[in-house]
Amino acid sequence: MNFRSTVFALLVACSISAPAMAKVAVGEPAPDFSLTDSNGKTQTLSQYKGKIVVLEWNNPECPFVGKHYGSGNMQRQQADATAAGVIWLTINSGAAGKQGDLDGAGANAYIVKVGAKQTAYLLDPAGSAGHLYGARTTPHMYVIDQQGVLRYMGGIDSIASTDKDDLAKATQFVPQVLAELKTGKPVSVSTSQPYGCGVKYGS
Amino acid sequence: MTSHPFLSGAGAGAALLVFASAAAAPAQTDHVGVELVSETTALVPGHSATLGLRFVHEPHWHTYWINPGDSGLATKLSWKLPPDFRAGEILWPVPQRFDVGGLFNFGYSGEALLPVQIDIPASAKAGAAVQLAVEARWLVCREECIPGKATLTLDLPLAAEAATDPRWQAAFATARAARPQPGQWTGAARERGDRIEVTLAGSHNDAELPSSPTLDAFVVQRQVVAYAPPQISHGAKVLELSFAKSEYFTDAPATLDLLLVDGVPPNMRAWNVHAPLTPAKPSP
Repeated sequence: MNFRSTVFALLVACSISAPAMAKVAVGEPAPDFSLTDSNGKTQTLSQYKGKIVVLEWNNPECPFVGKHYGSGNMQRQQADATAAGVIWLTINSGAAGKQGDLDGAGANAYIVKVGAKQTAYLLDPAGSAGHLYGARTTPHMYVIDQQGVLRYMGGIDSIASTDKDDLAKATQFVPQVLAELKTGKPVSVSTSQPYGCGVKYGS
Repeated sequence: MTSHPFLSGAGAGAALLVFASAAAAPAQTDHVGVELVSETTALVPGHSATLGLRFVHEPHWHTYWINPGDSGLATKLSWKLPPDFRAGEILWPVPQRFDVGGLFNFGYSGEALLPVQIDIPASAKAGAAVQLAVEARWLVCREECIPGKATLTLDLPLAAEAATDPRWQAAFATARAARPQPGQWTGAARERGDRIEVTLAGSHNDAELPSSPTLDAFVVQRQVVAYAPPQISHGAKVLELSFAKSEYFTDAPATLDLLLVDGVPPNMRAWNVHAPLTPAKPSP
């Protein structure tokens, strides 16, 4: 689907040509991608077929990401998931020169600094994986089951804010989906409004 | 982020005021100054007054509308008022559309005022003074985003009559001019495949549908339409808007609240339309 804006838009900052945002949908196969991780290794979704995969869109300088890392919420979810055999891929689709964009060394330093526990940190400066998944915000979360079907996409939790105090009251959607998938229950919340800073795609 | 409130000088206008309201304390935070202001110099018991959150953004920075779009956070207000005083919801002026690399946001830049109606109880006593307080939370973004928070207070006298405060007269007038008018047309929306289609038809009085090529439309409800500008086409006495459906569409709300906007300030016209939404027929 092409979401190319029409001439009728009132634009404050004109974008000459915005790459199309693809549409993924819960219940549909999650599209494959191939990205380089922070250690220079190629990572694809298809290599993890047979495992549950979590995708986490990240920008270290975004205050919404800061809420979830500063509180330890994200690292805890990463650790719990990977300990249970889930593959957790953090993806940075920030274009070169945009806020929060990282190279491999920068990503590894960030992982050490925050004690992150993902399987791999993937670099997507061209924004191809981001556009493929329609990633809009940081954070923006997706859960893919062992058959490669998308089972959750949307916000990290139920309270859109930058305030750590809201974590105690919010529903964390990824652990909830993972628990339901593990016990074969239907996924109770399969989409929620993603919230955060806009992904810093190149213009 | 912490705010750094400081007492403002009363301003040149204060010497002209019969009722010298205590200076509001504006908060100058990262990239935006926020201030609680009153349209009038006093509050009248048994009547309503209009207050406003006045934002002064640094160039290229913006805060957000009730539906911020693909990212961001709407400004939220939490009032602390004297007993029996009531604050209404923010009377959102028409926002601007920001295109950020193919993602869209709706909000405000430059100087913007968010009006709020305050109802003063008849039991309030003229001659006394009251303090109104509000905790404002917002997100101000350029490329990066910075959350902001401030508690703003305003002391105002209660009086039998109230005069306009000349300091904010222009700001309130601009905010009023940027309020959408009730649209006189009949709106109907339907879910069709991966689109949401809205038809606006002329009313009995044949209220003219805008024909300008600079039309845009925004939807208040989140998770219904995607935020790229709709395709707009004109028929005989009919305006058709076609939006892509949001990927986060779950249940259709019964009514879609639409803002139709023609042009830009100071020549902008904008209308509110409520369009009952017919969901797609479930497949057998």
